[in-house]
Amino acid sequence: MALRLLSRRTLGSRILSYRASLHSHATSFGFQQVKEEEKSKLVGNVFTNVASSYDIMNDVMSAGLHRLWKERLVGKLSPFAGMKHLDVAGGTGDVAFRIFDAVNSVKRRALRKVDEASLEETQIYVCDINPNMLNVGKQRAADRGLRDNKSLVWVEGDAEALSFDDNSMDGYTIAFGIRNVTHIEKALAEAYRVLKRGGRFLCLELSHVDIPVFKELYDLYSFQVIPNLGELIAGDRDSYQYLVESVRRFPPQERFAKMIGDAGFEKVEYENLVGGVVAIHSAIKL
Amino acid sequence: MYRTAAKRLLGAGLTTSRLLRSTIIPSSYTSNLCTSSMGHTESPISNQSGPTGTGEGPRRKPRPEFEEEQARVLSASLRHVARLGWTEEAMMAGSRDVGVSPSIVGSFSRKEAALVEYFMDECLQLLVDRVDSGLDLQNLIPSERISKLIRVRLEMQVPYISKWPQALSIQAHPVNVPTSFKQRAMLVDEMWHAVGDGASDLDWYVKRTVLGGVYSTTEIYMLTDDSPEYRETWEFLDDRVKDAFDLKKSIQEAKYFAQDIGAGVGKSFQGLMNGVMQTMSTRGGRSSSSF
Repeated sequence: MALRLLSRRTLGSRILSYRASLHSHATSFGFQQVKEEEKSKLVGNVFTNVASSYDIMNDVMSAGLHRLWKERLVGKLSPFAGMKHLDVAGGTGDVAFRIFDAVNSVKRRALRKVDEASLEETQIYVCDINPNMLNVGKQRAADRGLRDNKSLVWVEGDAEALSFDDNSMDGYTIAFGIRNVTHIEKALAEAYRVLKRGGRFLCLELSHVDIPVFKELYDLYSFQVIPNLGELIAGDRDSYQYLVESVRRFPPQERFAKMIGDAGFEKVEYENLVGGVVAIHSAIKL
Repeated sequence: MYRTAAKRLLGAGLTTSRLLRSTIIPSSYTSNLCTSSMGHTESPISNQSGPTGTGEGPRRKPRPEFEEEQARVLSASLRHVARLGWTEEAMMAGSRDVGVSPSIVGSFSRKEAALVEYFMDECLQLLVDRVDSGLDLQNLIPSERISKLIRVRLEMQVPYISKWPQALSIQAHPVNVPTSFKQRAMLVDEMWHAVGDGASDLDWYVKRTVLGGVYSTTEIYMLTDDSPEYRETWEFLDDRVKDAFDLKKSIQEAKYFAQDIGAGVGKSFQGLMNGVMQTMSTRGGRSSSSF
């Protein structure tokens, strides 16, 4: 019965959301309709609240799978020494640390001819709109002994208005962040702006499941289990309710791929992981 | 017939390679190909694709397609192969030459294999062009034509010979085998086509398999050949081609031999059957084995 109620509610709000997206004065905050100006504030509150238990909640919600997803993302990126990379909405640094390790790993350096100079030129910028998340990230860097490492740079900024120069980045990643921005098109346009020619855009995001039985199970898990976990572990049911609702509101894989293409990117592809629970979209700026 | 099939299979790769030919020719062949590639120097690749964006200003050049960029990067990477091998580093150096971020290499499927396969395609195209632009084959007997074609093709690999074993091992990876096999099949096909072979029966497969074998063994022999101008490799090649043609003769002889035997056996079998029939008819159905 809970599922039936849910589907009626989602259907109604889905119709509403499509109409709402045509006039861009209202936007979605989960299943609620809110004014645009408010969305970033509300999102900000969510992440301020969850910052300290963000990593633990990720592990619990995805049963540790989020690590594999991020590994896959970085694997696809194929980082190289001397690259300038921007990780947006990467507050706690998961993706950034993986890229750093990939570039600096001793095994990799032994296998390939890398000169020390280009190794030092590597710059990984971690940009997040929320200072609390950045602080968690900086703390984790310090724990790893990377506090003073020049390669990792923590920047506070907005995905829709980046403070970086045009054509300055070799890579751009955004992991589990793009559904939180108010105007996805702006974020994509900014990504296009800062990337160099040949630069790659990679987006890891929770996405839509179409497989019949699995879809129902996933919905059950999302709406029944996760908010309760949020309450139990992070003490914040509402933030996690927002989280699962925002996943449902995010465009499905094909439509998001089209949006990326509209921003000017070439070779837009996506890969579904776990049947569509997570999707990695990739594209190149040419 | 084969060439149109080849073009269909290779698709855009062939057409773009015409524009880029001038960058990958080993220096010894520029004189031969100058005439045909004069008009195809490195012009800005602006006519391949229409603008895909909407509402672009007229002064922005149309966005190049990904395959084109990939071809440009791979073509530029070949210059670095002698030094860096068939590796991502060579491709990153190539991308820097073209003015594109090295990140693009991360998006090539099966990275090093992309470079090797590009090279194989380019060499095939070069071979076809050389045959078209009048490689002298008329005055030679078939076995000599085959030798000459293989020699022309293998000489294209000379600038990369120090790193060629790496290319072979890349081609042998299970993931890459389908494509490398297809490329070699097309190469062998083109060679027979150039020789003037029109067979379409079982012979077709036999011919291509045998030629494939000759080509591969010569290729591997060349890897360890130190003689000046690879003289020993060409001698080896001539011997193998002779063997192959001798093999053909031996197979023919074996066929005739089998036919003769078959005829002999057939006669005696027929005699046997006649005897059986007679026995059956005279004894009226009560047959007895008369062996």
